[in-house]
Amino acid sequence: MAGGLSQMDSTGHQYAAGVIEARLGRGAQDVLEAAVVLEAWGGVRAGRALSLGSRVVPPKPPRWTPGRLTTEEPGRRDGILSEAIALIMAILAVASWAGPLSRQVGTSALEHAIVIGLPLTLALQWAIRSRYLSRRSGLACLAHDRLALGAVAVLGIEGPLMLLHPYGPLAGMFVAIWVGGTVLARRGWALPYGLLLVAAVVGLEARLPAYPLLEVLTGVVLVAGVVAVRTGEEHSNEPAGRVGRALWAGAIGAALGGLLVGDPSLGWGVHGAFPALALLPSVLGSFWGGYHLWKFYDAVPRGLQGVTLTQANQRNRQGAAMRIFVGALLRLVGMTVVLSGAVILISQWTAGTNRVSLFVGFGCVALVTLLVNVLESLAYARWALFAAVASIATELIMSNLVLTHAPVPGTALIAGTLVGILVALPPLLRLLVRPGRVLATSLWIQ
Amino acid sequence: MSTPQPAMLVDTADSVERQTAPAEPTLDRVAGLARMRARRARRSPTVRPARRPRILMTTEGTYPHAMGGVSSWCDLLIGGLPEFDWQILPIRAGDRSHSAIFQLPPHAKVVGQIELWSEQLPRRRWMVRADHHSRESLPANLVRSLMGWEGSYDGLLDALVWCRRRPQAVRRAFRGAGAWEAFLGALEEVLAETHPDAGPAPQLDAVEAARLYQTIYWIARAAAVPTPQTDLLHVTAAGWAVIPALVHKQLFGTDMLLTEHGVYVREAYLAAARSASSQGERFLSSRLARGLSRAAYTAADSVAPVTEANAAWERGLGVDPEKIRVIQNGIDAPASYTDPPGNLKVVSVGRIDPLKDVQTMLRVAVEVHRRVPGARFEYWGPPTKGQEAYARACEELARRLGAEECFRFMGSTRDPHGVVRDADVVLMTSISEGLPMSILEAMAQARPVVATAVGGVPEVLRGCGIVPPPGDVHAIATGVATLLTNPKLAAHLGQRGFSRVHRVYTQKACLDGYRDLLGKLAGVEMAA
Repeated sequence: MAGGLSQMDSTGHQYAAGVIEARLGRGAQDVLEAAVVLEAWGGVRAGRALSLGSRVVPPKPPRWTPGRLTTEEPGRRDGILSEAIALIMAILAVASWAGPLSRQVGTSALEHAIVIGLPLTLALQWAIRSRYLSRRSGLACLAHDRLALGAVAVLGIEGPLMLLHPYGPLAGMFVAIWVGGTVLARRGWALPYGLLLVAAVVGLEARLPAYPLLEVLTGVVLVAGVVAVRTGEEHSNEPAGRVGRALWAGAIGAALGGLLVGDPSLGWGVHGAFPALALLPSVLGSFWGGYHLWKFYDAVPRGLQGVTLTQANQRNRQGAAMRIFVGALLRLVGMTVVLSGAVILISQWTAGTNRVSLFVGFGCVALVTLLVNVLESLAYARWALFAAVASIATELIMSNLVLTHAPVPGTALIAGTLVGILVALPPLLRLLVRPGRVLATSLWIQ
Repeated sequence: MSTPQPAMLVDTADSVERQTAPAEPTLDRVAGLARMRARRARRSPTVRPARRPRILMTTEGTYPHAMGGVSSWCDLLIGGLPEFDWQILPIRAGDRSHSAIFQLPPHAKVVGQIELWSEQLPRRRWMVRADHHSRESLPANLVRSLMGWEGSYDGLLDALVWCRRRPQAVRRAFRGAGAWEAFLGALEEVLAETHPDAGPAPQLDAVEAARLYQTIYWIARAAAVPTPQTDLLHVTAAGWAVIPALVHKQLFGTDMLLTEHGVYVREAYLAAARSASSQGERFLSSRLARGLSRAAYTAADSVAPVTEANAAWERGLGVDPEKIRVIQNGIDAPASYTDPPGNLKVVSVGRIDPLKDVQTMLRVAVEVHRRVPGARFEYWGPPTKGQEAYARACEELARRLGAEECFRFMGSTRDPHGVVRDADVVLMTSISEGLPMSILEAMAQARPVVATAVGGVPEVLRGCGIVPPPGDVHAIATGVATLLTNPKLAAHLGQRGFSRVHRVYTQKACLDGYRDLLGKLAGVEMAA
């Protein structure tokens, strides 16, 4: 201490600047930093250090280095291949259920169950993903709310469905199996889940009674789901997402589900496996596109590193946000087109469909889902819901008022999704073309 | 429409909702009311309210949710001054752990919580009509008033009060297309400022600007949280904790007391200087801390640092010396002491934090062990929340230095007095301190102290400890080795410390000081 002071007295601010340079490896940013360093490491009293003023501050700005980036991806992306395989198994299995189930429970009951179950499932999946599964400690967050969620599931969903005889219980089982699958996939148990669904197909083909079989399957999936949540992640302090936002997401999911079942010309459950099988290309395309979008949280800030302030709000069609978005779009469209062609080619052996319009319709659904998904993830939930509702409203109007006897199946679906795309795409493009604005106003302020 | 009387504005509005309803008087009018109140207060400085005085204490990452020196001080103050009704408003990172570590006495209650970095939105007031008024200049105004070298106190208050009046509109204001553009323009203005004391600003990139934008958003969100009716604002750090108090003071003219344990802006600069961040991030974090501290110093009616060393900083940073009143921390010391056990044990009690410079302590331990082979070091305390990586780096350094034989991280303790009693020497190697309670505890147990000359440490240890320069391994190790090998000197210093604590740093003196100051500011006379 005394040594520091005496040297200050003898050589003044040159000594001070030397101490700062030695401690920081650079000059001081301002007089305050100089004073702090001199007091903490130079043994100079505060008043004395502060009085040195601007003499210890270098006149030239420091050499520029871009900021360091420490972004964290929101969630797990391991085991993507097994998840994709499980998704294929699940779709094929559910497609294979249609024939034996409609034979055993009746086509009307099956169709009603799907028409109710699919939107409900999508609503729950979107809501659960928004509040829990999109977080790093998603399963821990889910475990924290398990009692409330259990009560909502039993009293708000499964209970009322059980009252809707004869299709309600079937719809309830579909919902439990499909939503449970989302949780199992998050836990990394997608493959065992897919195998369970395939086992159910084998049972149905062996003419085992449908209801008891599905009851067993539902029970196994629910138990596995509970085990997955309880054993998933250690206790975490990470909070769950907003309830309000989850409700918006649920409404969007329900609207998208409604879009899938709102066109009666698709004939869910009536025409055997074909609508479910026609979903396969677009679902896989959607999966691949969605996987690419996962890079958004990391790639957008990374792409803005080193971009000066004057360019931070400029339009950039080649910016990271647009690149990721267009990449996702191309993956979705490319895979859907290729796989649709493949499914049409093998349709004569699969009792599936070769109606191109169905594949186009489901491809459009995948596209509108992607757009709505991006809008929702950037916290533009109202706009996303508006696009989804515009789609379903158009579809319902077309199928019930305009195209009551459509010669081409899926026409109303295509019309609805096109409206949804037209509603969602322009604002999204306007936002994404300015990556700086996306990062500051949308990604980091939710 | 006639101007409402101050009494109506402050005393008859019972609910928090009412205080923050959009139908409040305009900012100018409220500022006028505040000035009127201040004039009235000057005319009759002591008004005795019919009810018990209420004090709104704002904390930042400390009481009642975290352990540490500031939390212990809050607990002591609140528990020791039951004549006030304490309203606690903690500011903390938004996570799931909401449980309080400290049990509040009956005359204290938590009146809300400001969660930063959480996804939650301000609570919607369903009975109030939605306010669609947007203000895209809000981020730009905040960045100009907070980050500029001179800044603008009035501009800051105007922006923060706007947030309080329209909590639902804050998010919309920040997400608007024009807000980001205006913000960038204002930030460029700030960077282009020239001031002889400031030095040239570094160039920033878009990511650093976006991160600042997000931080400014959370300042606006903190300002939007309602505060309850109160008679006095007590801010416990000149940083984020001042934000709700600034708004409350501006709206209702309530007096504000600021207590600084460490000097907030100094610690922010130290943390930035030691971090591996880019120039831009260092610049932004230190400028922001400076802006918040400047606002706190301007708004405070009284500043109560815990040591003269902090007072010197505060004067140097422009606080009116008339406002400053040093109230030193105190401790409830035992009436007698035991002799050191002679076990060559050196103990340190505190959080594992870069400001404690644990890495220097490790080097000191190795050096002392070389000179005094039987010497053992124990570090009691958990890592500071968010400094887990630093704690891991310290453990790694201990391994690399081969210090495992003589140095152990012991974790938390519920018996700090016992830990200190069981030592021959108490050591502290901090690079920043206010008036550390751990040193007072060591003195109360008559244990000799070696502590670095930072903050109020030289003042406290005058004549009863060894005070080497911070970061000087050789000098610190020499001090510790001297005491370990010279028990008579160690005992003598310990006894001097014991009597000094009883003379100067008593809990009673500390509480009396606050009782008097708080009473005066709240407009009541308190009997000691």
